[in-house]
Amino acid sequence: MNQEELDNRLAEISDKLIDTQRISDRRVFLLCESENSFAVNKFLFQDLALRFIIATGIDSDSCFEVLYHYSNDETGCIVTVKAFIRDRENPSMESITPILPAAEWIEREMRDILGIDFINHPNLRRLILSDDWPEGVYPLRKEVKK
Amino acid sequence: MSVLANVLFWIAVVPGTIILGLIASWIVRKVSALVQWRVGPPVLQPVYDVAKLMGKEILVPECAHRAVFMFAPLAGLAGVLLLSIMLWRITVAQSAFMGDIVVAIYLMVLPSLALILGSSASGSPHATMGTSREMKLVMSYELPLVLAFIVVVIKAGGSLSLADIAQSTPVWSISGMVAFLVALLCVQAKLGYVPFDMAEAETELGGGVIMEYSGALLAAWKVMHTTMLVALPLFMVMVFLGGFGVGSAGAVAAGAGKYVLVVVLVILIKNTNPRVRIDQAMKFFWVYCSIALILAIALATIGGYYGIGWL
Amino acid sequence: MSWKMKALKKSVWVFHVNTGACNNCDIEIVNLLTPKFDVERFGIKLVGSPRHADALLVTGVGTKQAAKRLQEVYRQTAKPCVVFCMGACAGGGGIFEGAYHVAGPVDKIVKEVDPNAIIAYVPGCPPKPEAMISGVVKALAAI
Repeated sequence: MNQEELDNRLAEISDKLIDTQRISDRRVFLLCESENSFAVNKFLFQDLALRFIIATGIDSDSCFEVLYHYSNDETGCIVTVKAFIRDRENPSMESITPILPAAEWIEREMRDILGIDFINHPNLRRLILSDDWPEGVYPLRKEVKK
Repeated sequence: MSVLANVLFWIAVVPGTIILGLIASWIVRKVSALVQWRVGPPVLQPVYDVAKLMGKEILVPECAHRAVFMFAPLAGLAGVLLLSIMLWRITVAQSAFMGDIVVAIYLMVLPSLALILGSSASGSPHATMGTSREMKLVMSYELPLVLAFIVVVIKAGGSLSLADIAQSTPVWSISGMVAFLVALLCVQAKLGYVPFDMAEAETELGGGVIMEYSGALLAAWKVMHTTMLVALPLFMVMVFLGGFGVGSAGAVAAGAGKYVLVVVLVILIKNTNPRVRIDQAMKFFWVYCSIALILAIALATIGGYYGIGWL
Repeated sequence: MSWKMKALKKSVWVFHVNTGACNNCDIEIVNLLTPKFDVERFGIKLVGSPRHADALLVTGVGTKQAAKRLQEVYRQTAKPCVVFCMGACAGGGGIFEGAYHVAGPVDKIVKEVDPNAIIAYVPGCPPKPEAMISGVVKALAAI
């Protein structure tokens, strides 16, 4: 769909978002809370039929952020859903793997490295940390020094 | 033959065959390099390879059956050397006997059998995959090989002696040419060259049949392989191309030329083809080659009955 | 110079091990073994099993997961053998030095199994194939 259509459709879920940022012509950020991220992702993947690229996990000092990136192949616009997880002690979020099987491994990686628990994930095992890595130590959290 | 020539023959045949095999394997590598527009290894490279392998330690896996593991390469080497000795004796001393072609076919199976034995004694899943592929391959190409030799036997008037077969040149006839081409592909599979090297597939199986071998045992496999490069083309020359005469210098040169021709054909097929899957190879040998050879046998029988030479 | 080492210098069969590399060095090693650089003139050949190999071309910083496996591969390589650490990561950690997943550079991992291992280093990120050839030739001449 072209850019106008995309903008019109994105307005449909603006009630679930905190904010919509348009950094440039081809870059749209949809900020939301972690409770709403499943609904927003479902809308983008199933209703708008955007292509899922990858997910990113960020440890900002006050909260965790999980970004899901989608591409609108017709215009080359990348739409990112930025979900904030406010609970730093036990971060958890609903997994989108049930509707999007391609997200299975990247969510496992985020669980290994940042400790974000994904509810309803079908296969939340260790992925990239070594077999003898201690459980409960998440390497890329800001408080882990070495 | 005179006593002195006899003694010289028996002293020189085994070392001579092994050295000739190393030179032949260098020819294979050098021609392959030239086909790929590169320089290739120096002449003594096969010698360096074998010398280096003799100097490495022999590692036997824990789950391997020790006795069979260590005996298999020696058995294969012995089989090929026996075949070479027999062929050279027939060539040099003109001492062919009735049924020697049957003995030669029997001895040609020994190296493949030794390979299967050795790899199944290795106790490794990769080697087991290589074993299963090698077994299927051997069962596939033995039938066309024997059928090709039956064509030659028919064309030589039903004689089972290599002396009579070497007199005729069956390749100058339709059935003979078909038999020669099919036998060439079977020899390619027996030598373990592309397109039929799926048993020792380096990229897929990490070495396949000979994966767990190292040191002197690996050297035995390599020498067996290079000696097969002497025995099998020589056998093809004697059966299809009119033999390796030793009467005069011209005859020896002609024989050597025929041998080099067969080796170069093997190298060219090796360098221009990709590796095929085992089920494709089985279908190729069982269906296409066998049908072609049954037609060739029919043509040869008709030609023999009515006395038409070129059938 | 024993005849074993003399023959080893003329015919080096290599086996490629990746212990957690970014794949740059691996691509350059695969480039090295193509007909363009023709390493068969030096007797170098790629083999599929470490038991056939004389030289291990190790790329990548040694990650914790790969460390045990690299030691197992080294034990399976028939001695005498040479370990070539290709690239900055294998040589001394590269840009991953001190990271959470690193079990030490490759020479530390190999020396745990065999303190007398012959190890050669080819720096670069990634080293060009010409640099790798030069490194292998120099290392073999110095043994």
